[in-house]
Amino acid sequence: MAKKEELRELLKAELKDDFIGEELAGERRLFVDVHNRALVKTAEILMKQGARYQVGVGYESRKGGRGLALVHTFAFDNDALIVIVRTFAPEDNPEFDSLTPIIPGAGWSERECIDLLGFRFKNHPGPKRLVLSDDWPEGIYPLRHDVPHDLMPPATRDVVFRLEQPPPGTSIVPFGPFHSSLHEPAHFSVYVDGENIKGCEYRGFMTHRGIEKLAQTELTYNDVPFVAERICGICGSVHSVNYAQAVEAAAGIKISRRAEFIRVVMLELERLHSHLLWLGVAGHLIGFDTVFMQAWRIRERIMWLAERLTGNRKTYGMVIVGGVRRDINKEKAEDIKQVLKEVEREMLSLEKAIINDKTIHKRTRGVGYLSKEDALKWNLIGPVARARGIAIDARKDHPYAAYDELEFEVPVVDYGDVWGTLVVRVKEVYEAINIIRQCLNKMPADGPLAIDLDAPIPSGRQALSVVEAPRGEAVHYVLTGEENKPERWRVRAPTYANLQAVPEMLMNNKLADFPIIVGSIDPCISCTDRVVVIEIGLQKIKVMRKEELETISRKMRFEG
Amino acid sequence: MWLWNKLKQLAISLRAGVVTLHYPFEPRPAPAGFRGQPVWDHTKCIGCAGCANHCPARTIFLRDICQEVRILLYDSARCTYCGRCVDLCPEKAITMSDKFELATDNRQDLTQAIELFMMTCQRCGRCYDLEIKNYIDRLTLLGYRYDSLEVRKVIKKSTSEFQPEMLEKTATYQRPERLEK
Repeated sequence: MAKKEELRELLKAELKDDFIGEELAGERRLFVDVHNRALVKTAEILMKQGARYQVGVGYESRKGGRGLALVHTFAFDNDALIVIVRTFAPEDNPEFDSLTPIIPGAGWSERECIDLLGFRFKNHPGPKRLVLSDDWPEGIYPLRHDVPHDLMPPATRDVVFRLEQPPPGTSIVPFGPFHSSLHEPAHFSVYVDGENIKGCEYRGFMTHRGIEKLAQTELTYNDVPFVAERICGICGSVHSVNYAQAVEAAAGIKISRRAEFIRVVMLELERLHSHLLWLGVAGHLIGFDTVFMQAWRIRERIMWLAERLTGNRKTYGMVIVGGVRRDINKEKAEDIKQVLKEVEREMLSLEKAIINDKTIHKRTRGVGYLSKEDALKWNLIGPVARARGIAIDARKDHPYAAYDELEFEVPVVDYGDVWGTLVVRVKEVYEAINIIRQCLNKMPADGPLAIDLDAPIPSGRQALSVVEAPRGEAVHYVLTGEENKPERWRVRAPTYANLQAVPEMLMNNKLADFPIIVGSIDPCISCTDRVVVIEIGLQKIKVMRKEELETISRKMRFEG
Repeated sequence: MWLWNKLKQLAISLRAGVVTLHYPFEPRPAPAGFRGQPVWDHTKCIGCAGCANHCPARTIFLRDICQEVRILLYDSARCTYCGRCVDLCPEKAITMSDKFELATDNRQDLTQAIELFMMTCQRCGRCYDLEIKNYIDRLTLLGYRYDSLEVRKVIKKSTSEFQPEMLEKTATYQRPERLEK
């Protein structure tokens, strides 16, 4: 690992006294502590070396008097190395330099720290509220240790999130929080000039459940995988595997090879059903419901297979710290092979039938275009990045579980639009089938499913784990703590990184393409929706009701 | 070309036929190993609280209501059906049944309560089961995390640790003004 040595020496030489220390870790991680004042400089050095920004984590030290800590992680994808930079600030003055001016992708992580821990960031361009609800009282920071996990401040009404002013000459079309086609609550305030989108502001985090806080207060190490699985309804296994890997890395636990292979099988089954689900939803959003029906019919076989393997369609509950809970024996392996054969055959015939269909091409080609440079700037990940010519995949770049022994392709295309993501995802379906077959052949015949943890997990150790979820790279940061529970557990789901670039993708597209770009929002503004018309000069907000909208549309039709 | 694609799609749809199941009218038995509603066998349970201490959803409660009776209460409302209790039960007293049709208008239908007759150890004051045999050694096996006789309940509430000043701050919190025009 020459790169690790090189970076360590470089940082030591450049930072001199500001380089505080290094935590010992495996070959693929470099944990360094730097002085508060050198944070931006460190980030600049690392970005110049070709790093990709991953996530920022803030936490409050439970002991040791070092106050509040901020962790930034940088991935070097070509060298299978992740650099974790930690810096400290005293409790009475939690001020850090913001990285957002040089790395736009760091904006959300820092806004989250402001909300949850009360940090202050110098030079942050928009330190608005991100995670907490609008009526959460000022001065109470949920991730501080003196705030209990079940604190419920009295709810207040009539509190409004202060949305930005739209650019002159545009109107706002609000999407959400509850929209006929929104799968989850989120609010997009889209600025339109006629049919063209000129910008967008996002207000989300309406389903923030405080899972990280729960893990730090109430749950123990082996409770967390089951809660982690419920972070996402689609890629649950990703989060439980990721968390378990992080704890195992922190504690130095080596799990059996067989358990690693079983984890890979579950991860790839999840990728299979997730991509088929996405294909169906994408078809539905562009009004091509044949794809929706047929993709979900194929997907159903995988759901039933998962039910036979794990005891449930979703939330498999397979992973615990130290291994897995259920075996994949000969019979189950045969079952998997049989299902995969059928899925592959049906998927091929479906692909042949739809891939040249004009409907898909007209609705996806050139839509949501983002250049490779912009994608790199926003640190995009997963199929969204691979559709823009960036060959990153955590399975290849930072191999975990049993992926180092498996042979597979990472499909990369350079269309840069929605069509590209569709192609990448369809190709990944076949790769996932290929990987599961290899797993079943290469899996060692014996080995314990889960190993016994004979010693307590040592406290105060950091670990970072990455797993390639169907949507991109998911990152889990764990700092081990006392009393059999993690002191800090930070989850960065792939959408966290990708959603930040959505306003950029929407730019200059048609309003009708909004749903397929965002992937979950329908263009059909139903009668019950309201349009907010803002007259810029007067700053007067007028909300139109259904009747008024109907009157206007009728008038337009008759007059035009 | 366009027509050819549509014909291919038609062929796929026709070959698939009707896939909707007549589910509520025809029973759909769950596959073997399904994780349905957990069921406690009161003849096997020794009241060790292993399940209560390790339930990720904290939906199993144990409480000593007097020196002799320990109540085990399973409240299905929050249960995630992970089956962790089954893994950890030293007596194999819990099984995941294949019951999944659990919709009901009465929450009590899903709640299971077991009253366990326990004896109190004269030395340590802990409850133990006398009916089957002396299992007191096994009580320590699975990490009896919350067995405080003073608190008399298994689930810890952290609100008691919350500083009163912080609560005060919340109580006097003024809501922000509505945005004016």
